Amino acid sequence: MPNWAETIAEELKKKEISLIVFVPDISIDRVTSLLESDPYFHVVAATREEEAIGIASGAFAVGRNAAVFMQSSGFGNSINAICSLCIPCRFPIPIFINLRGEVGEFNIAQVPMGRATRPILDVLNIPFYTLDTDHNLDKTVGGALKLCYSSREPVALCMTPLLHGGKLA
Amino acid sequence: MLRLEATKMILSHLKDEVVISNLGPTTDELWMAGHRDRNFYTYGSMGLCSSMALGMALSTDEKIISLDGDGSLLMNMGALATIAREKPKNLIVICWDNEEWAQTGHQKTHTAFSTDLEKVASGSGIDKTVTVRDIESLEDALVQALSEDGPWYINAKIEASEEYPVMPIEPEVTLWRFRRTFTNIPMGHLTAAPEARP
Repeated sequence: MPNWAETIAEELKKKEISLIVFVPDISIDRVTSLLESDPYFHVVAATREEEAIGIASGAFAVGRNAAVFMQSSGFGNSINAICSLCIPCRFPIPIFINLRGEVGEFNIAQVPMGRATRPILDVLNIPFYTLDTDHNLDKTVGGALKLCYSSREPVALCMTPLLHGGKLA
Repeated sequence: MLRLEATKMILSHLKDEVVISNLGPTTDELWMAGHRDRNFYTYGSMGLCSSMALGMALSTDEKIISLDGDGSLLMNMGALATIAREKPKNLIVICWDNEEWAQTGHQKTHTAFSTDLEKVASGSGIDKTVTVRDIESLEDALVQALSEDGPWYINAKIEASEEYPVMPIEPEVTLWRFRRTFTNIPMGHLTAAPEARP
């Protein structure tokens, strides 16, 4: 039985997503470390999340599928890149977001942006799926990735501590 | 040095190389200098031109030329650090440095004071950098950059330009047209039928 990180890696491979751009986050380090250790993926560390959106979009423009990983605070940094680049050009970029401010959060500074992430995705009309259990994870991730490419628009996958265990204070 | 004539000079040296242009006048003047299917025009997403160019350079062996600007690069200087970390051999960043935010009312940018973007690029770890102040020097640097491995950072000091009208560029069409020169996997499909693969 694959763990959640292995399931995400497998679904990325099925969709031929081989460039991964991320800004580090301890809770999802398990998946980004796994991707880095797999020669199928080229994993790029960006300095800021809007930069990650730009790098992934550039890859898609020349024919390579790319996804980004970030924390909800970094989603706040990336909103204009998504709105002014991905949506008008129709770049299908899967955005994996670790949701802070969820059950077990210890840091008040992480709560507002974490709590605002899904409402912001909603007003931008970006589909989002919350990943909080191993149950049907392959179908949810695989289906969301397929929708991303068929709709030619970004799709967000929001990961919670119920999936990955969260950051321990 | 004027950006439009410098852009025309750059295009005169290219065949199938990619040119990606920063938002606003840089994009409009690339269109005016010579529309090609391998031009990627950005509108909006200020600061992301060279980040997109990096994503392209990591995903194809072909030469990628980013036409960036001082105001935009100041907004995303981390792009230079990530380029230096990844070291794509096929990436050439040319920054049009007019020392002002021309589109927003000609306010002076930081490069009009003490910021030297070539030093920022060099300090970030990009080994091949140069600052040029006339079109002949830019042409020499470009010819060298096209023939040697990069990444390259060329800071091109330019004069204030004439303001041209906005060109008829549709972002969605830009991506569709540009991507077709690299893959026959259509937009909206993950993979092409095997027999249709390039």
